[in-house]
Amino acid sequence: MLQIHNINTFYGKAQALYDLSLSVEASEIVALVGSNGAGKTTLLKTLSGLLRPASGRVVFLEKRIDGRPSYAVVEAGISHIPEGRRLFPDMSVRENLEMGAYLQRAWKQKGESLEEIYRLLPVLKAREGQLAGTLSGGEQQMVALGRGLMSKPRLCMIDEPSSGLAPVMVDEIFHIIEGLRDQGIAIFLVEQNVRHTLEIADRAYVIENGRIILAGKSEQLLSEELIRKAYLGL
Amino acid sequence: MGSYMMVTILDVVISGLLLGGIYAVTAVGLSLQYGVARVLNIAHGEFIMLGAFITYSLYTRFGINPLICFAICGPLVFAVGFILYRTLFTRLRMSSPTPGAFEGNSMLACFGLLFIIQNVAILIWGADIKGYTYLAFPVDLWGARFAANRLVTLGFALAICLVFYLFLANTRLGKAIRAAAQDPDTAGLMGVRINQVLALCFGFGALMAGLGGALISISYKIQPTMGLEYTMIALIVIVLGGLGSIPGSFVGGLVLGLVGSIVTHIEPGLSLVAYYVIFMLLLLIKPTGILGK
Ligand SMILES: Nc1ncnc2c1ncn2[C@@H]1O[C@H](COP(=O)(O)OP(=O)(O)OP(=O)(O)O)[C@@H](O)[C@H]1O
Ligand SMILES: [Mg+2]
Repeated sequence: MLQIHNINTFYGKAQALYDLSLSVEASEIVALVGSNGAGKTTLLKTLSGLLRPASGRVVFLEKRIDGRPSYAVVEAGISHIPEGRRLFPDMSVRENLEMGAYLQRAWKQKGESLEEIYRLLPVLKAREGQLAGTLSGGEQQMVALGRGLMSKPRLCMIDEPSSGLAPVMVDEIFHIIEGLRDQGIAIFLVEQNVRHTLEIADRAYVIENGRIILAGKSEQLLSEELIRKAYLGL
Repeated sequence: MGSYMMVTILDVVISGLLLGGIYAVTAVGLSLQYGVARVLNIAHGEFIMLGAFITYSLYTRFGINPLICFAICGPLVFAVGFILYRTLFTRLRMSSPTPGAFEGNSMLACFGLLFIIQNVAILIWGADIKGYTYLAFPVDLWGARFAANRLVTLGFALAICLVFYLFLANTRLGKAIRAAAQDPDTAGLMGVRINQVLALCFGFGALMAGLGGALISISYKIQPTMGLEYTMIALIVIVLGGLGSIPGSFVGGLVLGLVGSIVTHIEPGLSLVAYYVIFMLLLLIKPTGILGK
């Protein structure tokens, strides 16, 4: 459903992504793993229109989306749940979720969508009126997830949802993400928690210095020598 | 004696709220332009002046009720602001490498605007002080007497702020504006058309300035060079209220108006000085503003 062909992205003169290609099919979890500064966030920003690729093509559901502004990418059905949650701190939990339904077609159904999100993430219901800036890290990640689902996306791109969370919370977040796939939402998951990620992902890509250096099925990668040494510390 | 004292206090408070209401309207406008659209609009006072003179002309030339003039000069200055942002500032924003560079560039552009608008106004209306009388009859309030126009002005100022607050709190576009103020990139990820929303904010800022100007023209004398003082005051108010905070600008405006009125009562002519003193103290003690964190 998502095909990326030979993307090159720069920050000023510094190149961050080199001829990067990958794809995500409907109802699969595809992971992108790599160390700090490898270019993971840069790729997501390039896909969601926060950065423009210098060259290359991005096709989503048969439509070109490269170089399109962010709102057009959401409209096309891709939701980007950014690194560091990026909630609106001076808005309540409920208002943050409503912002996720900003698209005209989603806004009309925001009441029902809210109910669905509260069923999926019951902690949010209890925190409805609280300012997002005052939530704990785990709760904030829940809001970020919920907000990213309010637009009823076909594909969710999630940037490091487990970062800074306690192990129990990480388990819960990963469990929720698996549940989303089972509901038919494709997931493009960026993570540094490689072991856990490969356990839930169907396929994965490894990125280093802006280039994909390895790709394959998760089970395959888990037994790969390079992965075991560099990312799993075995 | 006691009742004389009461009447004096009432007089100072109502005058302060009147001044404060006008400050609040104009500061909320500047807060939208600076806090959301990131343009430190040095020409804000010129939009206030435009609102004042358009109302003046419509009333003295064509006899149109100043309160109805709101409906004419409001949309007019809104359109000027919106178009300016779509043409000039959007382009500047795209061509500025960083948000900081954009703030600098746009402020320089606003300096240019200031001179252009002011000189055009002098060409049209001349450089003299102007004024008109409207609803000048006195009204008794608990023993104190006020010109009716001042009470009407105060009522309108508060109503404008209230309506705008409800708009921001409850409508889809209002929420988009608040989201864009907090984090424009993330607002974009939600589907907000950020260029359009920023232009609307700049337009709304101009609208508030225009309405503020119209209100000023009802109770005070006006002049094409009046803008700078109001720009400075609006700047002080948005710092007082906490940069980017709309409720803060509202409260800050009322507070500054009250201070101005008290100082004027004691020693007329010192109110501007008092504003600067408050401003300096605030910068030293609590630079995040009264409602800031
Ligand atoms: N705004 C920016 N300006 C200039 N260079 C940047 C900018 N953001 C990122 N970079 C550079 O681009 C490269 C890729 O960064 P990116 O944030 O995509 O890494 P990442 O894989 O997401 O890392 P992390 O796991 O730490 O989030 C890094 O070398 C980084 O220094
Ligand atoms: Mg990152």
